[in-house]
Amino acid sequence: MAARNDYHRGFWAEGVPFIWISGMAVLVLLAIVIGFLGLIFAKGAGHFWPAPMAQVTLKSGSSVMGPVMETEAIPHAAATRSLFKIGNRDVYGLDFRWVDDAAVEKREYPPDAAVIERSEYGDMHGFIQALREGGAVTARAGPDFHPLLEKKIARAAHLKEEIKKAADDVEHAREPLAKLEVDIRLLEDGSEAGTPEAALKLEKLNAEYDALALKLGDAITVPEQRIESLRKELDAPTLEVALADGQVKTMPLKDVRAFYLPNRMGLSAKAGHYLCKVWDFLWTWPRESNTEGGVFPAIFGTVMMVFIMVVIGAPFGVMAALYMNEYAKPGFFLNLVRLGVNNLAGVPSIVFGIFGLGFFIYFIGGGIDRLFFTDKLPEPTYGTGGILWASLTLALLTVPVVVVATLEGLAAVPRANREGALALGSTKWQMLWNVVLPNSMPGILTGVILAISRATGEVAPLMITGVVKLVAELPVDAGWPFLHLDRKFMHLGFHIYDVGFQSPNVEAAKPMVYTTTGLLLVIVVTLNLVAILLRNRLRKTYKGAAL
Amino acid sequence: MKRILKGVAMAVAVAGGIVMAAPAAHAEPAKVDSRYKAYQKAKGIKGNLNSVGSDTLNNLMTFWAEGFKKQYSGVNIQIEGKGSSTAPPALTEGVAQLGPMSREMKSKETDDFEAKRGFKPSGFKVAVDGLAVFVNKDNPVKSLTLTQVDAMFGKSRKRGAAADITSWGQAGLTGEYAAKPIVIFGRNSASGTYGYFKEHALDKGDFKDSVKEQPGSASVVQGVSEDRYAIGYSGIGYVTSGVRAVPLAVKDGDPVYDTSADNVYSGKYPLARYLNIYVAKDPKKGLDPVAKEFLRFVLSKEGQEIVIKDGFLPLPYEVAQEMLKQLK
Repeated sequence: MAARNDYHRGFWAEGVPFIWISGMAVLVLLAIVIGFLGLIFAKGAGHFWPAPMAQVTLKSGSSVMGPVMETEAIPHAAATRSLFKIGNRDVYGLDFRWVDDAAVEKREYPPDAAVIERSEYGDMHGFIQALREGGAVTARAGPDFHPLLEKKIARAAHLKEEIKKAADDVEHAREPLAKLEVDIRLLEDGSEAGTPEAALKLEKLNAEYDALALKLGDAITVPEQRIESLRKELDAPTLEVALADGQVKTMPLKDVRAFYLPNRMGLSAKAGHYLCKVWDFLWTWPRESNTEGGVFPAIFGTVMMVFIMVVIGAPFGVMAALYMNEYAKPGFFLNLVRLGVNNLAGVPSIVFGIFGLGFFIYFIGGGIDRLFFTDKLPEPTYGTGGILWASLTLALLTVPVVVVATLEGLAAVPRANREGALALGSTKWQMLWNVVLPNSMPGILTGVILAISRATGEVAPLMITGVVKLVAELPVDAGWPFLHLDRKFMHLGFHIYDVGFQSPNVEAAKPMVYTTTGLLLVIVVTLNLVAILLRNRLRKTYKGAAL
Repeated sequence: MKRILKGVAMAVAVAGGIVMAAPAAHAEPAKVDSRYKAYQKAKGIKGNLNSVGSDTLNNLMTFWAEGFKKQYSGVNIQIEGKGSSTAPPALTEGVAQLGPMSREMKSKETDDFEAKRGFKPSGFKVAVDGLAVFVNKDNPVKSLTLTQVDAMFGKSRKRGAAADITSWGQAGLTGEYAAKPIVIFGRNSASGTYGYFKEHALDKGDFKDSVKEQPGSASVVQGVSEDRYAIGYSGIGYVTSGVRAVPLAVKDGDPVYDTSADNVYSGKYPLARYLNIYVAKDPKKGLDPVAKEFLRFVLSKEGQEIVIKDGFLPLPYEVAQEMLKQLK
């Protein structure tokens, strides 16, 4: 009896069950995090890996070719079916097709099966048979065929670049003309069209236009002729591809971005291909209504928005905290403010979004428009969503985090340090600036880290303050004034929402959702790592700080 | 005798519907009328273009924007698509020059616009859609009548169904499906597809509270492909290999039609609709030149090819010509 009692006392007194429970809690948390990350990376990371191309001949005689995406049991039947990514959306209408495994006569992996990445309509799956130029066959499938094809595709890409450059030259040379064209168009189509004054003006402008066109002459026609000859070369070669079901399709070579033969690739070739695709994903623009191509503008938008938010929000929060901790008299009012700040952190983000819409966009933005952009009204310049307003909204959203963390950092600076500084004759401000603030820097950075994490993953308030599905231009570019804070932007979080819920081709876009989510996580971790490294360095510098 | 004949006729009609449905799943995509003319680039087109509106048209607008941008590098197009109901206020406030809508503007919306701007908004038909009722690919249901659809989705049953339909058995399925409750996916109320479906399928009745409202057409399709007992509706352009569009009849005994191009064009498929883009065309100032060119592009051969690429149906040539005439 006594022994049991001792055991019992020890068991509870040492809190064994609670140690177990807390240990379990950590374990569960770990399992959730690992499971979540595992799911995202397992589903997303495999997206770019070239899967083997299976060609199945069905008992009905037709044939289907593509990588097998998944195989599932048919409910209430002892059979399975497989989902093939058949590609060729322009021919079949859909990129995916379920095939009952029982209906399959044979399945093989033909070595010549090719995946042709196109600039439109997704991938084409088939056997590349010949290269034609202006109708005549210039090369047929054979030993040297693929290297030749690769060279031709590279050449086409080069030609496109050249055309773009020449087109830029034309546009540059035409700039004065283009300005006149806009004026002429306004006179022809605008409110005064048809009036005698307009006709008079129009005549004058047209004369001016003709004179200018004559003067510019060669500056325009030379690159224009160059474009024409380049186009001719670009348009000439076509590719002949036999599809799995026997149809032969001819497509212009300029639409081919790349091709590869997955069944012939070794491990190293696949790895190389994989890296190329990941690189493409990170650095190119989305194509085909965001279902293909990369996410570069979304990465850029996300990082830039977070950057603006930190630059505006962090100093604001730090100053507020400094005043609250060092200058404000403790009492009812200060407690009220503290309470307010703490509760602000719990306000749903969409409420901040609505505030941003009402205050920043309609009130401030609309005000700016009425003052400085009256000529453009009713078309708004700043009175509509944009990266500046979205960043400001998120800055408001995350300021409480910064304030709370800074307050704690300030409170943790040892009294001795402050008194030492004061004893050496510094003023209160000098003491704060030179002793307290540097020492509480790690605490402030903790706040910034939390703010970054929260802001990067936030989507709801952005949807009404300036995020869009697709932008044509980044908020930073080479055109004056370089930084375009009024522009709308793309954001990775919204991109995930868009691709997952609103994509025209959900099946094809599903892996993109996982890939983009993984990427967003990587960006959050990277941004945080930078801040953490900075904090660790500061900690070493100010060892006296308690944080 | 007469009854038998009628029965045979019905069976033939039903079978016809099914036979037509089969090729539709893997049929070649529709073709653009050869009379459509290629787009002619205009001069002096430069500036911003904002589009706010339909989610159904969201991808189509993005595709068009990609195509338009290839023609005019100096044009910057921004697209937001959170639902057709967001288009009229955006046009009224001048926040957007283009207002894509998957339904027609309501008179209340037109009036609000006119009260603020002093003229009526102009709508342009840009594509044709057969609003499809999707079921899971495993679902054996052959066809449904709108009366049944109304009894599944709506609580008012304005089409006169005798009883509420909550299980697949009540919709005529046997075996495994008979006892399974129907899982209903729908759209949120800002959506034009929601409005159109409410007006035309439910005869202006109310949706049941059990409808799982989704923020986008694609997520309806996604939901239906994940749940074997689900039903949902969205534009035919969102079809995937995991779902099937059910052929529809108006009421019991009527012929059944699938979502093939012919049925949609002829109006035999009961949920065929036009997709529209609304613009603010000031009768004095005329339409914003960039928006005008955009519409001209949409109504050209290239623009209508893009419609097919996104899975919708191109406008009949005559309608497109009518639209171009109105644009002038």
